Amino acid sequence: MRALCWNGVNDLRVETVSDPEILNPNDVILKVRLSTTCGSDLHLIDGLIPTMREGDVLGHEFMGEIVDVGRDVTKVAKGERVVVPSFISCGKCWYCQHDLYSLCDTTHPKPELQEPLLGYPTAGIYAYSHAFGGYAGAHAEYVRVPFADTDCFKVPDGVSDEAALFISDAAPTGFMGADFCDIQGGDVIAVWGCGGVGLMAQQSAMILGAERVIAIDRYPERLAQAEAFGAIPLDYTKVDVIEALNELTGGRGPDACIDAVGMEAGGTGLQQAYDRVKQALYLETDRGAALRQAMLAVRKGGTLSILGVYGLMDKFPLGLLMNKGVTVRTAQQHGQAYVPRLLEHAQRGELTPAALATHRFSLEESPTGYHMFKHKDDGCLRAVFVP
Amino acid sequence: MSTAEAEAEADVATAASITIGKPAPELRALWLQPETQSRIWSHFAEVTPSGEQAAEWTAHGPAGGEYRWRTAVTDSEPDLVRWATQDGADVPNVGELKFRPAPGDRGTELHLDVRFDPPGGAIGQALSKLFHIAPREIVRTALYRFRALALTGEIPTTDPQPAARKGGEDR
Repeated sequence: MRALCWNGVNDLRVETVSDPEILNPNDVILKVRLSTTCGSDLHLIDGLIPTMREGDVLGHEFMGEIVDVGRDVTKVAKGERVVVPSFISCGKCWYCQHDLYSLCDTTHPKPELQEPLLGYPTAGIYAYSHAFGGYAGAHAEYVRVPFADTDCFKVPDGVSDEAALFISDAAPTGFMGADFCDIQGGDVIAVWGCGGVGLMAQQSAMILGAERVIAIDRYPERLAQAEAFGAIPLDYTKVDVIEALNELTGGRGPDACIDAVGMEAGGTGLQQAYDRVKQALYLETDRGAALRQAMLAVRKGGTLSILGVYGLMDKFPLGLLMNKGVTVRTAQQHGQAYVPRLLEHAQRGELTPAALATHRFSLEESPTGYHMFKHKDDGCLRAVFVP
Repeated sequence: MSTAEAEAEADVATAASITIGKPAPELRALWLQPETQSRIWSHFAEVTPSGEQAAEWTAHGPAGGEYRWRTAVTDSEPDLVRWATQDGADVPNVGELKFRPAPGDRGTELHLDVRFDPPGGAIGQALSKLFHIAPREIVRTALYRFRALALTGEIPTTDPQPAARKGGEDR
């Protein structure tokens, strides 16, 4: 089959590789209908995440049709249209049974690579380096999906392929970030980042009853999409974000701040220059301007919900959190806990993830798609690949 | 204990613990199934069942070296299984697995300790150089695989899978 492969830093090529096979009794094989780029892929492509191997198939956000089924699979069947969260979860271990699916105890095939970094292995993930399991990704004609009964969700009528696609990762990650905020009536939620995850966090905060949602970014097309979803847009290159948030919250500060940016946060001024130089020299992987600003902006006793992907960061202003009594919540997406609800919201038109699909490419054109996505050319919010 | 002795001790003893959400009798029965032993140690050695609660082991060294031994269970109690190599082992070793109840709804704690006695003594040949795997990984990975098998009936794997290397497949 054809697949988009990582061959080194900034070296992506579509190549011919073997088809995936059923390896374990709970596996299925999916014929990929759509897959998409994710901001966290840029960390792999830019070489910020170690333990990638030349020839790895990329892609962790996808949906498709089941074409082969392992002998122990009972809840899904051949021919069904399904969406699959990006973390592989068994549904049987203590973590899965406590809705902490991305921390699954049993799906990492190479725990010895990750345990020294984190203390304990997490769930395996598709196409996110060998330290995270080394599973082949979904920018391909076919992908193997383990634990199909737990990880494959049937897409109901009335939910398009494009809407279902983002319920693989951007939507559940954003929804989880809003869920972490424990939103009460009257709450104002500020979201740094209007990429796929940030926009989904904004829409989710509204579904969960936020009084007002504020969206922070610098790309006009992204801010326009946030506004179309009902958020108040703030361009951080044009306004002082702290002052603007103060004004919008009557001096209280947002009740919760969501960081949907991560290690590649842009910023302004000297701090940004300092962060970028250290990142380029591998002294640290993270720039972190958005996270620092969110920590300063959040109200006393508020919640900081971190969805951005981070590696190492020094000069972390921990005292700010401590003295303000801030609750920090963070995780990789526990998608399986949210997907059924999100499919219902999408079916009722309350969640509109298809709006993220600004550009469509054939799989053969996927390197061009990643280039556009990385440089945000032509207002590219997400590139969608059709195998 | 001198520093050298402590280092030698750390090198040959490999102990690890894991918690599995199942009752001890069920886990003990699964552990003692011959097929289980073959599956959970496959990162380290080929284990072939051989008679009543005994097995033939073949482990590989970094430079094509091959070590063989035969183990048999020496103690089997409700909360404990011990095994040891029989005479003629290339790398004599003893193993012990203890089962303890975990608090709350967490199931059972497994404490595994395998001690190797490399030829020429611990100082003579460091265990980490004898096999192709770090000593700590020998037991950690076996326990991790055992937990996956006990909870899900399978062991996670990506072998083989599509990749643009080695003729399109990663093995």
